[in-house]
Amino acid sequence: MPEKAVRKALAQGMQELNENMVTLAELSELAIRKAVDSLSRSDADVAREVFTLDQELYALQEEIESNCVNLIALHAPVARDLRAITTSLKITTDLDRIGRYAKDIAEIALQFHGQIPPGLKDIVKIPRMADLTIDMVDRATQAFVNRDAESVRNIMEVDDAVDNLHDEVFQEVVEHMRDGNLPIEAGARYILVNRHLERIADHAVNIGERVVYMVTGDRLPRVRAADRAKAKKRSP
Amino acid sequence: MRLLVKERKERETASETVEDLVVRPSVAVEVEYPAIESRDLSVAYGRKPAIREISLRIPRNQTTAIIGPSGCGKSTYLRAINRMNDTIPTARTTGQLFVDGEDVYGPDVDPVLLRRKVGLIFQKPNPFPKTVYKNIAFGVNIHFRTTPEEMDTIVESALRQANLWDEVKDRLQESALGLSGGQQQRLCIARALAIQPEALLMDEPCSALDPVATARIEDLMFELKKEMAIVIVTHNMQQAARVADYTAFMYLGRLVEFNRTRELFERPQADLTENYITGRFG
Repeated sequence: MPEKAVRKALAQGMQELNENMVTLAELSELAIRKAVDSLSRSDADVAREVFTLDQELYALQEEIESNCVNLIALHAPVARDLRAITTSLKITTDLDRIGRYAKDIAEIALQFHGQIPPGLKDIVKIPRMADLTIDMVDRATQAFVNRDAESVRNIMEVDDAVDNLHDEVFQEVVEHMRDGNLPIEAGARYILVNRHLERIADHAVNIGERVVYMVTGDRLPRVRAADRAKAKKRSP
Repeated sequence: MRLLVKERKERETASETVEDLVVRPSVAVEVEYPAIESRDLSVAYGRKPAIREISLRIPRNQTTAIIGPSGCGKSTYLRAINRMNDTIPTARTTGQLFVDGEDVYGPDVDPVLLRRKVGLIFQKPNPFPKTVYKNIAFGVNIHFRTTPEEMDTIVESALRQANLWDEVKDRLQESALGLSGGQQQRLCIARALAIQPEALLMDEPCSALDPVATARIEDLMFELKKEMAIVIVTHNMQQAARVADYTAFMYLGRLVEFNRTRELFERPQADLTENYITGRFG
């Protein structure tokens, strides 16, 4: 086969991969938005939409993984093509996990049986936590779509803010439960939601770091959030 | 093993235009004590320049691949190393080239002795129309004085080194032209090894071979680099990625980029390299 024809096939495969990745990113972001919405409004229909989205995410992730393996096997890609494929392989896992956490939040929403969750808006900072997390996912996925490394080069600093807020929410929920302002069952569920949101933010950091590698070839040093927090405390 | 190569702290910026490349090829690694070194090496055929001002340090005990589109000067550079361009009347070479620190184009250099130190394997296997045994013995007789017993040992050793002994030990007195293409190519490598070269140059050595014969040659290169520097010119970028520790990319007679193969194929520094290896031109 002539060289150009082989490269055209690779170019077409890369384009299809990118389109699928953009769809996957949009679906996972939609899942988390809907999950938070289903919780705040205790809307069972929206929660079920999240379940459907989670299934779609899983199926698309499998398709992307298969496409990536085919591209590697058939075209031996290098340089930016290779980085885009390996990054896609890694990011699909993060996006799939985000979808799973969204599903977990939607399941918690269903456990309120159509009742507006007590104290969610007025007592605890979960909506703020959700906004920050969704912003991070949006930033990371947009960076992937636009091949923009600079917008996510320092995304772990935003994650530090999410981690701090996670600690605050935990304390707040515990205090409200202790004071009797929040039923224990609801509080326990909020702690789970809080944890899921914090993990989603961690996956957004992973995506951001992978995007930096994909665009520039630079591998960012991976530092655990806890270690970053310790380092911050040590510095004056 | 002594550390021969170390990272350059600052990478040179990749250049956009060919003219810039003359001044600033992207060389991201520094090679200490190179086996082969060219300084501003240029070769022209008549008035037509084939390679221009190439400065490159090729490491010892490693395989270095030279890649680039047709006509970029890869083979000319390779042939300049053991002065094979001397056989072309219109060829004119300027600049300096050192093999093991010795100026190859110096006034007292005997090209025949140079070619003992630097073997060259061609694209098409070119065994002599003689027996397998005599193919090996021919070069040895020119360069060394040996007894028949010593010659037997050298022939066997060279064939073993080229992973060919088991296939030809019962056919030593048969014509080399009766061997398969892959066996002939390994015989040519054995012929070069018999005179104990310090470097082996390979010009598209597998382009006429099937995948199994290609794999044998690649395995052989993996073993041989423990003892000598290997420079391979190849159009097959997957082969360069498989066999080479370092890769040089040439374009229009100029060196564009030299780097560790892993780096060059994962994150090339120059846009030209990136566009070539990803198939966007060439």
